[in-house]
This record gives sequence, C-alpha cells and structure tokens, in this order.
Amino acid sequence: MNAITPAGMSAMKTRVNPVTQEVVTNSLIAYADEMALALCKSAYNMMIYEVRDFCCGLIDTDGRMICQNTGGLPIFLADLGIAVKDGIDRYGLDGFAPGDVIIMNHGGVCGQHLNNVVVYTPCFHQGKVVAFAANRAHWVDVGGLRTGFGNSQTYEIYHEGLQMRSIKLFEAGKRNEGVWQMITDNIRFPESSLGDLRAQTAACHIGERRLSELLSRFSVQTVNDCIASSWDQAEAEARAIVAGIPDGRYTAESWLDSDGRQLDVPIRVKVTVEVKGTDLTIDYSEMNPQVNSPLNSGFSGGLSAARVAFKCLTMPKAPVNEGCFRGLKLISPEGTIVNARWGAALGQWSVALPTVIDTILRALAPALPGFVPAAHKGDMGGCSFYGVREDTGARYVLMNIYGGGWGGRKDRDGASCSVSICQGDVRNTPVELQEIHYPVLIECVKLREDSGGAGEHRGGLGLEMRYRSLGKSTININLERTFEPPWGVEGGQAGRSNRSLIQRADGSEREVKKESNIPLGAGDCVTFWTAGGGGYGDPTKRERAQVERDLLDGYVTAEGAARDYGFDVPGTGLGSRLRGNDGQGDLVIPAPTSVTPAPTSVIPAQAGTQAPAKERQA
Amino acid sequence: MNSIGVDIGGTFTDLVGYRDGELVISKTLTTPHNPTEGVATALKLAGTQLEELDEFLHGSTIAINTVLERKGDQTALLTTAGFRDVYEIARGNRPDAFDISFQRPEPLVPRHLRFEVSERLNAKGEVLTAIDEEAVRALGRQLKDAGIAAIAVCFLHSYANPMHEVAAGRILRETYPGLFVTLSHEILREFREYERTSTTVLNAYVGPRVARYLKTLESHLGDNGFDGAIHIMRSNGGSMSLTHASVEPVSMMESGPVAGMIGAGAVARILGIQQAIGFDMGGTTAKATLITDGVPGIEEGYYIGGYSTGQPMQLPVVAIVEVGTGGGSIAWRDGAGGMHVGPHSASSDPGPVCYGRGGTEPTITDANVILGRLNPNRFLGGGMPLDLEGARRAMAGKIGEPTGLTTDEAALGVVRIADSAMALAVRAVSVRKGVDPRDAAMIAFGGAGPVHAVALCKEIYIPTLVIPKLPGNFSALGMLLAPWRHDSVRTLVGVLGKLDGVRVRAGFDELLSAAHKQLAADELDPQRALFELGVDLRYRGQEHTIPVPLPSAEALINADQVVTDTFHALHDMRYGHAAVGETIEVASLRLTVTVPRGGESVEQFLAQPFVPEDPRPEQRRPVVYDNSEQPLEARILWRPSLPPGFEVEGPAVIEESNSTTVLFPGDVARVTEHGHLVISIHLAQGEAQ
Repeated sequence: MNAITPAGMSAMKTRVNPVTQEVVTNSLIAYADEMALALCKSAYNMMIYEVRDFCCGLIDTDGRMICQNTGGLPIFLADLGIAVKDGIDRYGLDGFAPGDVIIMNHGGVCGQHLNNVVVYTPCFHQGKVVAFAANRAHWVDVGGLRTGFGNSQTYEIYHEGLQMRSIKLFEAGKRNEGVWQMITDNIRFPESSLGDLRAQTAACHIGERRLSELLSRFSVQTVNDCIASSWDQAEAEARAIVAGIPDGRYTAESWLDSDGRQLDVPIRVKVTVEVKGTDLTIDYSEMNPQVNSPLNSGFSGGLSAARVAFKCLTMPKAPVNEGCFRGLKLISPEGTIVNARWGAALGQWSVALPTVIDTILRALAPALPGFVPAAHKGDMGGCSFYGVREDTGARYVLMNIYGGGWGGRKDRDGASCSVSICQGDVRNTPVELQEIHYPVLIECVKLREDSGGAGEHRGGLGLEMRYRSLGKSTININLERTFEPPWGVEGGQAGRSNRSLIQRADGSEREVKKESNIPLGAGDCVTFWTAGGGGYGDPTKRERAQVERDLLDGYVTAEGAARDYGFDVPGTGLGSRLRGNDGQGDLVIPAPTSVTPAPTSVIPAQAGTQAPAKERQA
Repeated sequence: MNSIGVDIGGTFTDLVGYRDGELVISKTLTTPHNPTEGVATALKLAGTQLEELDEFLHGSTIAINTVLERKGDQTALLTTAGFRDVYEIARGNRPDAFDISFQRPEPLVPRHLRFEVSERLNAKGEVLTAIDEEAVRALGRQLKDAGIAAIAVCFLHSYANPMHEVAAGRILRETYPGLFVTLSHEILREFREYERTSTTVLNAYVGPRVARYLKTLESHLGDNGFDGAIHIMRSNGGSMSLTHASVEPVSMMESGPVAGMIGAGAVARILGIQQAIGFDMGGTTAKATLITDGVPGIEEGYYIGGYSTGQPMQLPVVAIVEVGTGGGSIAWRDGAGGMHVGPHSASSDPGPVCYGRGGTEPTITDANVILGRLNPNRFLGGGMPLDLEGARRAMAGKIGEPTGLTTDEAALGVVRIADSAMALAVRAVSVRKGVDPRDAAMIAFGGAGPVHAVALCKEIYIPTLVIPKLPGNFSALGMLLAPWRHDSVRTLVGVLGKLDGVRVRAGFDELLSAAHKQLAADELDPQRALFELGVDLRYRGQEHTIPVPLPSAEALINADQVVTDTFHALHDMRYGHAAVGETIEVASLRLTVTVPRGGESVEQFLAQPFVPEDPRPEQRRPVVYDNSEQPLEARILWRPSLPPGFEVEGPAVIEESNSTTVLFPGDVARVTEHGHLVISIHLAQGEAQ
C-alpha cells in the first residue's frame, strides 16, 4: 500500500482504533481548514477574501475527496476530485515530481464557469505520490466576453475565456514561463489573478506539509484505515436516515425564467427522486435540454446539486467526505442544463442549481412532513459593476453577493437576507468597502418589507439595495425566479420575487430582468429587490402576537397584515376596510399602538438625495 | 505598592494579592446574585484589609455574560438614513452551510428601536448630506419618554470623519442626560459597517448594566476603607481604569481568561523563551494562545457566541483559541458507535463522578483518576477525596462495555480524544500562524493543564514544557502583571511609497492625542508610557492585512526598507509566500500605549529564588500511560518540597495543592532556580502508534 486510497480498503473492514481514527480524521479536516485560512487571508480578489468563493482539500490518488475545509461553499462538493483525476489520467502517478503545480479549469472536465480555477500539487511520501493537495478559487477574470457576474450573451465555451487543462505551471519547482506569459496576456486582471495563484499554490504546500507530518506519525495503512472507516460511518449514518423515508418515487417540477438570451422561453427544472430501502436515486432525465446560452453546467454541477440536497436531508452537521454520498445514486443523462455536452457555454453554471436543490426537496416534501421548508429565494444573488475608472484610468470590477428570504419552516419563520442554499459561508461585500474601492454610492441597504410569503410561519425577507453610479460604468443584471416566485407550502403563500430597476439621471426608468453590458452614466441608479421566502402553513393560523410583533418591527406593513393575515390594527377597522380593495386604499396608517417609539420616527421612509424608487407589485 | 487581583469566574472567585512583597492567595465560591459578596469573602480569607491596598485589579465575566444571557438594558441604534437594517442583515452568510434550519445572529436591538437620520459622508469623509440635528433632538426626547437606557450611533464612513457622530452624541446627551451613548468612532475607527455597528451595539447594550456593577463594586470597596485605584482587565491583555471601563465595557469581554496568558508571557520572558504556547485547562474549557517574546498574540476581534450565530466584536483581543474540553467534560457515544468527549461539561454541579456529588456521566477528571494520574487523596491539597470506584463504574457502564473496551482502555481513550481535541487548539494558535511547534515551548497552567500538557507536547512535537509556580491559581496571578493598555486604530488607505506625509502625521497625531487624553483622564504620567506605532499592510489587491510595527511615522512616510522587509517576512511566515517587488498598500494606522506596572510586582515573585518546603517522603503508584494493560510504577513527588536543580525522569507524577504534573517515561523535569518546572519532552521517533 503506497497511496492514500481509503475506499480500496473498504472490503478489508479493518477495525481501526476509535481514538486513532478521531485523531486522524480531525487532523485531516484541520489541515483543509488551515489551507483555507491561508488562501483567504492572502488572496487578491474579493470573491476569495470577502465572499469566500473557494474550497480546499486533500484528494486521493483515485481522485476522491479525503477531506475538505469546513464552512465553505456547499456547491463545491463534487469539484476537486474530477479536476485532479484528469491530471492523473494525463500524467500517470509516476509522472509527477515534487514541486509540480498543476492548474486546471477546463470546462469540458470541470463543468463550471472558467473563473473557477483549480490548483493542486502532488503529496509525496517515501518517494511516491500518496495524495494531492488541491483548491479551487474564483478568479476575478479569465478573459473572454464576460466580466463579472451575470453576463448572458455567450453561447459557446470559447467565448468565455482562457482554458487550462491539467497544465503543469511549475515542473519540479521550475516555472513554465511560456504558460505564465500566456495567462498574463489573456486575462483582464493579471496582477490579481496571479496573486491569487500564488496564494492557491501556497495553500497546497501547506496541505502537503501537514499530510507529510501526519504520515511521519501514522503509516499510510493506518491513515487509509481511518479514512475508510470514517467513510463507512458516514455512509451508515446517511443510509439510516434514508431508510426512514417511505419507499416511493417522488417528482417535482419548477421553472426558471429563461436562458438569458431567449427571454420568453421558461426553463424546466424537473426531478424524480426514488427512495428504495437505504438507497436514494435522483433522476434528472426530464430536466430541460441544454440551452444556447451560458445557463448550463457540466455533469459536476448537477452532481453537486444532488449532493447538497442529499447532505441537507441526511447529515447536515457532519463533516463532508465521500462516504456521505455512497447512499446517493444519480441519473444524469447528457445534454441537459445540468450535464451539458462539451462546447456548451458554462458562464452561468450555478444559476439553476439553487432551484434544482429546492425542487429535489420539494419532491420529497410529501414523504417528509414538516422537514422541508417553503422555497427560498432560489437564485445566486449577485451583482457586478465594471469599467475603467475615470479618475485613475484603472480597470475595475465590483462584485457583491447578497442574500434573500428563506422559506418558513414547520416551527419558525424563515431567515431574512441570507445567501442561497448553494453558498453557505459566502458573505456580502461591505458598503464602506465598495465605496472606498469603486465609483459608486450606495443609497440604501434595507429589509424589503412585506416580501416574506405569508404563512403560519412567515417567509424571510429579501432586501432592497440601491447603487448610484458616480461615473461611466457597465452592469449585468440576471434575475431569476420572477415567473415562479419562491413557493409556499402547507397553505403558505409565495414570497415576493426578485426585481431590479434602472433609473437614469435624466429621469427615465425601466425594469430589467436579464440583460448584459448595460451602460451606466454618472447619476444613474440601479435598485435591486431580492426575493422573500415562501410561507409555511395557513396565514390565518399565525399567532396574533406574532403579527403584532411583525407590525411593530415593520417586517409586515399594516396593509400587508390586513391583506395577508386579515389583521385589524386595533381601533381602526383597517383590516376589514382594506380587504375589500386589495391594499390600494388611500388610508393613513397609524403607528402601531405600543409603548415603544415607531420605527421611522426620525426620518420618514427612505433617505438619499434623490427621490426613492417606488416599489411596484411585480 | 500593595495590589490585589480578583477574578470572578463561573464557579470560583479567585484572589491573588501582593502585599509588602508577600503573596496572598484565596479561593471561594462565586456568589452570582451579588458578586461583591464573594469578593468580600475572598478578601477576608486572604486576611487582607482594604485600607492597606493601593490598587484593586479586577477581571469579570459580567460583560460577556450580559450578551450571552441577553440581560442588557433596552438599547436603541441610530444609523445613516437607509442603513438601519445593516445590523440585522449582517453579512448574509450561513456558516452551517447544509442546515436548512440554520439560524442567523439575533440582533440585540430589535428593528423598532433602530432609527435613521438624514446624514451622509463619502468614503473620503466629505459631507454629502448634513446631519439633521432637529431629528436627533426629537429622537433624544422620544428615547427619554420611552425609558430606553442606551443608544449606539454608527454612521457610514465615520471612521474617516466622525463629525456627524460627534454632533449626534452631543445632541442626544443634551436632550437626554443619563442616556448611555456609544459612538462608533470612539471605540473603533475601521471600515466594515456591520462589524463596527455590532461592536458599538455590544458596548451600548452591556453599558448600563456593567456601569451599575462597577459602581456597586466601587462603593462597596470605598465603604470598606479602600481609597486606591481600581483597574479592570481588558480583552487585549492590559488593564484600564474603572471610569474608562464604565464607558467602554465592550473592552472587558474577555476580561476573565486573558490574565493567565499574561502570566505565561512573564514566565516566558523570565526563562528567555522566544516562542511559547500558553495552555490553560480548567473545568469546562481549554485555551491556547501563542506568546512571542513574552507577549501574547492579539487578534482583531472575534464572534461572541460562536461564528455561526454570534455577535462580531472587532476590538483587539488576546488571540485565545478555546475548545470545549475541561476536567468536567463528559465522554459520550454517538448513534453510530463513535466516541466523543465534550463539549458538555459536568461543571461543578454535579461535577465529575469521582467528586461524589451525584455526577453519573464519566468525565476527563474521572478518566485521569482511573488511570492513576490524579491522586484521589491529594485533590485540592487533600481537601476533597475522590471516589475512584464510582469513576470506574461510570466509565465501564457508559463507555467501556458498549464499545467492548476495558475500563482502563476506555479511560485512556477518553484522555486521548481530549488530548487530540486540545492539540488541534494548540495547533490553531501555532502552526496555523506559521510557527513550528518544534521550535516552541509550552507553558501550561490551570488545574488540569499540567495533567495533560506532556501528552499534548508529544502529540504536537513540542520539545519543552514549563509548569510555572502556582499553576492552579495562575489566572488570578496574571492579573497583577497586566500593564495599563490603550489600543487604537484609524483607517488610512494609500500606497506605500506614495503616502501623503501630512495625512499620515495627522492620523498618528489624532491617535496620540486621544491616547494622551485617556492617560490624563486616568491620572497616568505620559513620561512612563510606552508608545508603539504600527501600520496594517497588504499587497495591492489583497484585502486582509498584516499589522507591522513601525519605528516612527517617518519610516512609514518614507517607506523605509525595514518596513517593507518586515512585511514581506511576516507574510511569508503566515501564508507561505511573499511577493517582493509588488506594490504594498496601507490600510490603517495603529497605536498601542502601555504603562508598565511600577514597584514590586508578581513578575519579581515569578523570578525570585525558590525556597522549598521540608522534604516529604516520596511515594509510588501504578499509572497508566500508553498501554492500559501495563501500568507503570511511577514516582510520586510533592512539588513544594523539590529544591531548585532537582531532576526527575518519568514515569513520575509531581503533585501540589491545586494541580498535578504527569511525566511520561523518558521525560525529564527539572526545578529551576525560581521554582518553575522545565520538562524536556521525550519525543517519539517515527510511528506514533
């Protein structure tokens, strides 16, 4: 045994000392976390250091995940191994030398947008490759037609930038200058991305060093046994949960707005989940065919979505390893939006995935009463502004990822303004940081009142955020799930859908759902309203005290309370009067009757130097 | 100078005093309903008169408990118009990534108490919209009518220009005298509005309660004849005046745990240890901190209540990594047969099974008694006999039999799992910071620390272990070492080498004048103060910064090579790479002011020659080390009687009143001239199994 290939051990069922196992598995996760920390702290672009769009781990010589950092992106669950496997197939295990650094983002293999660049290094023990230290991080740019998020204009992979397939950037410690030059000349922010590359490489070296330390204390055999045993335990735990789901075939269907190029054709997300004993199969056979736009992922995108859903169902708190997913089978025929054929554009690869996951959970809802919440905002929620600064002449791209409402649950209201189910520990970009670095003024970041779907347990609220451009800039807008807003369950209502509005300095304005490369001038405003979560249960069953609290805190307006909950604000008869005219009544709403001061007593409603955007019913 | 330090913990109130060159110590149960009662008892037990004291140092968990238990007074928040919800929206992240029932941090200020005022600055601090002073005045009146006790004020870009916050603060105090007002720029001058707001809110939220507590303490001490200075431990490892603590209580969040690390720093200095890892293991948790050149590491903030749902607090705090592994941590099995230890603790009530107070769940302390590592007859100096048989029964019933392990195997497993968890904490403060443990020494204390420290050193390959004098009372002792300390930061963004000298000098002048104001308020002589300038640097394009010490403001303005070299070296050490030749960016300026403690001090106690007690006869007993079936006959020694220069090789157990040091075979302990134990760890070669 000269490589870390734990699954090869599973047949042997060696009894591992439980103490050694705890020590080894804890250590492996700590190594991945240590790699993640170093990458995050020394990275050059906001997508890594602020948003945390990356993952780190150790991969075995068969391309399977030994460990992955905690708290990262859920959607990076089927990631690193596929990329590393391609290099193993190309070079053979004997074809690696200490000091090699391999770079990989090939769309046909990785199945993601090309910005997600994998860097990995071989880990040697006694002269042989025993594993790989790897990470994937979002580069700010890889050339091509796309800058920032949300561009929908591409329709083949060659539009989308530089592809690097299992290239040795360093061979035995020596930099491949030709490749380096080619990268430098073909991407928009080489200083940033090559800085990230340095950080990624250093993170791999940390993983190598730690693994080598571990192998100086425990034999390869012992480490393999520990990993194999932890996978077996994870598998057993997950299967025990699946066994509790009644056998059967469960189907659900949802709709995405459009592929972004052909705006009047909705995209079908249909999944079938089959539960049989301790096996759970997710079937994408009826998924929308791949599209002639970047709204496709390769096989790994669909696999990740299936794994996220499965992990949420089975063991959300446990660390991630291959064993967690042995009870999951995936049927994913080629040619769909979650397994597009080679050559398809992948720029918006992740956009469908939150809805895919929501739909898998939706399918299983009848089998798991009370477990599945109402739908969440269902998109990836990001915006980016880019261009050349007029004051310094520097090229810039602003990227921000922000949350929306999550669905109400059996026992409580949904969370507000949280990132999607695909994003985990991804964080929004601070207002002050954006204004320090980019030519924008942000006029508000606030909760979107009344946006949570009504229910016994209300959906969480979306947010409202308004940017004013201080110079020439460009923006992509890519809203999703506006035709089918986040649904309610058990009688709950849908949440308010995503919305955006461009208001020009000349006073003109228009709503935008999906559009790429929209030019902005000084004084132009863009307002985003993110979706609210769906409600859980019949709104009339909501406790009166909770509606009162919502009113007091302004999560729900008096009109909303009257319309959705039939709630009379005491002493006014408001509810009964409003129910008749659909909330359009021209009424003065009194402050909630409470000892505490009303929320907006200092200044009424919105701030800003310009008249605020008026929200209309979507 | 006669000083006394009092640490009010969850279970015990600890007192260590230094009076006329003599150390006095006492320990009594904490009285949660009225903590000053416990203090009075401790003073009495120590035979101390308040009249004879010049200084009273105090560490307390009141601030952090007020947050964790949500016992603060009703607090309001005032923000820039359009941004009152930033505090609730937070960063939008979900650290519990796969949990569809995840929870978000619960704001300490509900939405109906969050107010907005029309005002706006840009990132340069220029006024875009003047503040509506009338609206602030109206708010002040409203808060008064509603009886709101405190308000936090946080405006966008106030780190760059605080004028609007200053105006709001002035008006609120005018219209509502008695309102506890916290302005964000007064406690944190850094960008990132959510984290700054949260820190400001934390201060306002705990403010009235902590101020009342401190007032009670002050009047209690005064009524009993004390007329010296009262100093409060702050999270950054220094102390501050009671007056300052009353307006900036957020600085005392980690007031309790930092003191021991300060003590460890002093021991590191005395013994000339460059890289030390302070390790403190008590009843519920274990804590580790990296100590470089005798100074515990400081980090810029943390999350109170944990990363997933906690409240960010961005003030400097001694970088303590804590794991839920203490003597009372309970061993348990999960559904799939896995074995775990902690974080649930039997604490002091009912306590470990061996305490014989009704505990039924086996704990780490029980395991140590079973393994022969703790002496059932000498616990707390013999004041508390331990029930070995009870511990064995619980370990066998709950862990051993279900897993098919013998009782000794199970106990050894519990200890090893605990050691492994604690090793990860130690790793987090050392290797993760780029420190190779093989070049470091561990300084271990806390009642349980010396019991486990040797095993940890072996696991992490730390060659040297120090058990200081009085390890069981070390935290209270450390308090008497804390210098007065004031940290401040100011955002200043620019490129190294192209900085505007006027701005830099003005920035430092501002920090210095604020520090001088604080020194004056605390009646301290600025001549005695130590002023350390620093700057946060990064490569252009990076976000996270590294604090770099500066010889002078001019060194920064001129981009002296010492500054760039230090930055490259620190970056390489932490993250494994450096980019010499790349543009370096400045993010903020820093100032740390310390006033060392004068006169005789505990540092002298730690460094003075040690005079042993009369010798006690050595004992022997079997102790389980690596093999549960083959306990080794270990020498049992009484530490207070071991003279300087004394050496012993393990297997051995060195006992003292409030702690026990366990030596494995091959480890050699030596008593230093000062009475500290320095242990050379016998490190295994090759396979650890």
